[in-house]
Amino acid sequence: MKAGLQALWARLRVLLRPPRTLKVTRMGRTYLVVTFGVGLGALNTGNNLLYLMLGLLLAMVVVSGVLSERCLRHLSIRRLGTETAFAGEPFAFRWAITRRQGNAFALTLSELDSPLMGEGCVGYLRTGVEHVVRADLTAPHRGPLLLSGVRITTTWPLGLFAKTRVFDLDGTLLVYPRRGYACQLPGQALQGSFGDASTPRRNDGTGDIAGLRELGPTEDARRVHWRKSAAMGKLIKVEREREERRTYVLTVEPSLTGDALERRCEEVAALSHELLEAGNEVGLETSGERLRPAAGSVQERRILRALAWVGFEELREPEEEAAA
Amino acid sequence: MSAPSQLRLRLRDLGAGAAFGSMAVSWQLPVWTVGLFAVALVCALAGRRLFAKRVKATSVLLLGVAGVLGLSVYVGQLDLVVAACSFAGLITAHRMLSTPDVRTDGQVQLTGLLMVAGGAALSGELTFAVFLVAFGIFSSLSMGLAVVEAAVPEGEPLPVRAVVRPLSVGLLFAVVGAAAFFILFPRLNWSMAGRRTGPGLGATTGLADTVRLGGAGTLKSNPRVVLRAHLTPDPGMEQLGAYWVARTYDTFDGQEWTSVGKPKRPHVRVTLRPGGERSVHQRIELLPAYGARTLVALETPTRLGNARAHQASRTLPATLLEIGGGEVRFMEGGIAYSYEATSLPPEEKASTQLTEAEHGQLLALPDRLDPRVAELARRVLGGEGEPLAAAYKLSAWLQREYAYTLELGGDVEDPLADFLFERKAGHCEHFATALTIMLRTQGFSARLSSGFFGGERSNEDYILRAGDAHAWTHVLVPERGFVTVDATPPGNRASQSIAALQFLTGLYEAIEGRWRTAVIDYSLRDQLEAAQSLIRPPRDPSRSSARLPPARTWGLALLVALLTYGTWRILSARVSTPRLHAATHFVDTVERLLREAGLRPREGETLEELTARLVREQHSLAEPLAPLTRRYLEARFGQRPLAPGEAERLLEPLRRYLEARRAASSEAGPRRQAS
Repeated sequence: MKAGLQALWARLRVLLRPPRTLKVTRMGRTYLVVTFGVGLGALNTGNNLLYLMLGLLLAMVVVSGVLSERCLRHLSIRRLGTETAFAGEPFAFRWAITRRQGNAFALTLSELDSPLMGEGCVGYLRTGVEHVVRADLTAPHRGPLLLSGVRITTTWPLGLFAKTRVFDLDGTLLVYPRRGYACQLPGQALQGSFGDASTPRRNDGTGDIAGLRELGPTEDARRVHWRKSAAMGKLIKVEREREERRTYVLTVEPSLTGDALERRCEEVAALSHELLEAGNEVGLETSGERLRPAAGSVQERRILRALAWVGFEELREPEEEAAA
Repeated sequence: MSAPSQLRLRLRDLGAGAAFGSMAVSWQLPVWTVGLFAVALVCALAGRRLFAKRVKATSVLLLGVAGVLGLSVYVGQLDLVVAACSFAGLITAHRMLSTPDVRTDGQVQLTGLLMVAGGAALSGELTFAVFLVAFGIFSSLSMGLAVVEAAVPEGEPLPVRAVVRPLSVGLLFAVVGAAAFFILFPRLNWSMAGRRTGPGLGATTGLADTVRLGGAGTLKSNPRVVLRAHLTPDPGMEQLGAYWVARTYDTFDGQEWTSVGKPKRPHVRVTLRPGGERSVHQRIELLPAYGARTLVALETPTRLGNARAHQASRTLPATLLEIGGGEVRFMEGGIAYSYEATSLPPEEKASTQLTEAEHGQLLALPDRLDPRVAELARRVLGGEGEPLAAAYKLSAWLQREYAYTLELGGDVEDPLADFLFERKAGHCEHFATALTIMLRTQGFSARLSSGFFGGERSNEDYILRAGDAHAWTHVLVPERGFVTVDATPPGNRASQSIAALQFLTGLYEAIEGRWRTAVIDYSLRDQLEAAQSLIRPPRDPSRSSARLPPARTWGLALLVALLTYGTWRILSARVSTPRLHAATHFVDTVERLLREAGLRPREGETLEELTARLVREQHSLAEPLAPLTRRYLEARFGQRPLAPGEAERLLEPLRRYLEARRAASSEAGPRRQAS
């Protein structure tokens, strides 16, 4: 019942939405005050030059409206979106905009009715050329953001009024949780045999070499590869397969809600990033999803995606169905 | 700072300069404010923002200047509006010299607007219109460029030309809209704080209460138009060559002329003498260049009235005051005046009522008159006893024996003796004085008259220039009254200015006249007349009022409407037809060349697919075709449009290849035939 009312209200809002919205800029406000003053002066004194000036000022307002309207016509836009969007961090978001006829100037693009902060700008849009507009947006919260349209605003030609046109364009932006500092340890790594060897935790230096990297501040000096270190002039550590990689399963407790849930999601995101960067395998357990431990950037993306949906499970199915 | 940004700032500063100019043409601003603004403008245009690092200190200075202006207003040295305008100019100058940013840009533009409004209050000159237009152009372009510059990402060029074109069109429409508003908006005048202003630039002639001999005759070379008159009946001559009298003088003290008459009571209409059946009616307009309140009319004026004084903010009926010497003045001050006058033609008898004192002065001589003057007059006249004949005799002698010059040495102790016996050259005042005094020495009553001589045809009217200012003699003839006798050589009576200068000033005055009638003095009455003429076009008296226009008029109107509609449809279709992309032309040429070479793509195969197929098949055409295809895709979809001439350059290898292939096949053909 509530969802139906909301849908009805949304439809009504779309219906009642004016085709263009006009906002007076700060300079425009002063301009209007001066125009009003000149009008009063003309009426009071009967000075024809003031009438002439008043006519010019008012005509400029009309011309400004016509030119800005011409700027917002014959436009088509599509949303290119972003690769990844983390809450609280600026991310590159793109739209592709085309003008079928005539040139447009000073366009500002932003997402309609969304908490995304930031906007993209186009100084000059030529006819028939698809222009990719890039904006650094910031999402305040984790989770799916339903995008309903793109708002295009122009202050052309004189910067007195900001005229806006809205393009209906549905979409969803999944915002990953902020990757803050991980204040808690990841917990005990899983026990058991992994890989080809049956004794993965025996650090006896018998495992296959997985790679070389610079020795960290607190790491065991016995792992230094002395020959490589001498050649490169810095301490190089040997990484061995099965010996140093751990398997962790991180959990987001189902009982968490509100800020506690947000904090846990951010923590898990940060932990998983650190662990996966270190070459470990990480899995995730949330109330609605269980990811098997795996390593690599794809797994990190899976974890972030799962974390982004935590608490928004009811939206996930329709969205994924639509995506499919 | 990039070149477009510098251009934008220069446009902004020029706009501010034009706004200040619109106030400065009133010549009412203190000279020091004009000087300060001029220095600031020059510095700003040179890109020197002197106050960029001293904003606070210079703001305090500005406050001090505001205090000085306020004090000037308090002590009555400066008008409040003038002080406010001056301060607006100084604020603009301060902002122009500060660091340019969005805020200062806005402040400069808005103070510019205020200055133009101030200019409208201070001045009604035509030059104001020029500055208004200049301000509109410069400021709009600057604001438009600023809006686009703010939206252009850093590092990308500012498309100046692309911005200027639509802005210019918009500005043109704004001017048309302003004119429409100006014409149509009803003139509702509350007049709660109407402001009156002085003549500003206008005055050049001026008529003093005295005529002092000496000095250079610079006025004679001044071509500015001071009077415009419509005469009824129309003489129909190009050069009228008439005397236009302003006032007369009866007392000469050896240095200057004055008159003894006393002012009478002011009236709406003044009758100087009885009129006649052949009187000439004049509708006269005294223009701002005239600069005096004395009415001027064709000699000999009989009646003056229906006078109006045109002030900066309004036009009001004027009352007239008759004072000594037959002079009539306006009681009300104004920038320009209009009135009606009637005059007797020169051949008509003109009686003049004189008081006893005035009559006595007609024979008065200066106390220390050089005795040689009377002796000379006696010798020249040779006993002539009839006043008019004596006057003509003396006049002819003066014209023959004396030279006309405007280059005089300045004041001398006895200018008449200097003219008659030393220099033997002078201008109209010397000639008129010599004739008048010489007549008086022989007992003939005479007086000096001043005004204008000439009358140049301008459309339906006659105009007088400042250089037409003139002086002549009135000789009292029994039974006829005063008769005009002019001792100045005929060729030197009218304006002495250069012809080209006269043409230019005439053109300027004509435009200024149109500006005044169509803009400055435009009123509710003009609006009503315009509306009436639209509603009720002038009727042909031969036609009945009930008749509608004939059928052919309706047919013609319909035809014109259809033609207009058709033209509009064709033009709008042409304008709305999307132009082909340059890359499409390019790919069309490539496909045509391939077709000519006998290479046809498969059905539905795009150029991209064709090229890929040729590469797979290791076809020799793949090599010249691949770069073309890649460049086409970039140009069409990759936002890298083709540069001028690039298409031809790119097509060259393909053409060469196809020609080589054609040549090879034509060589192979004969060889096959030979084998």
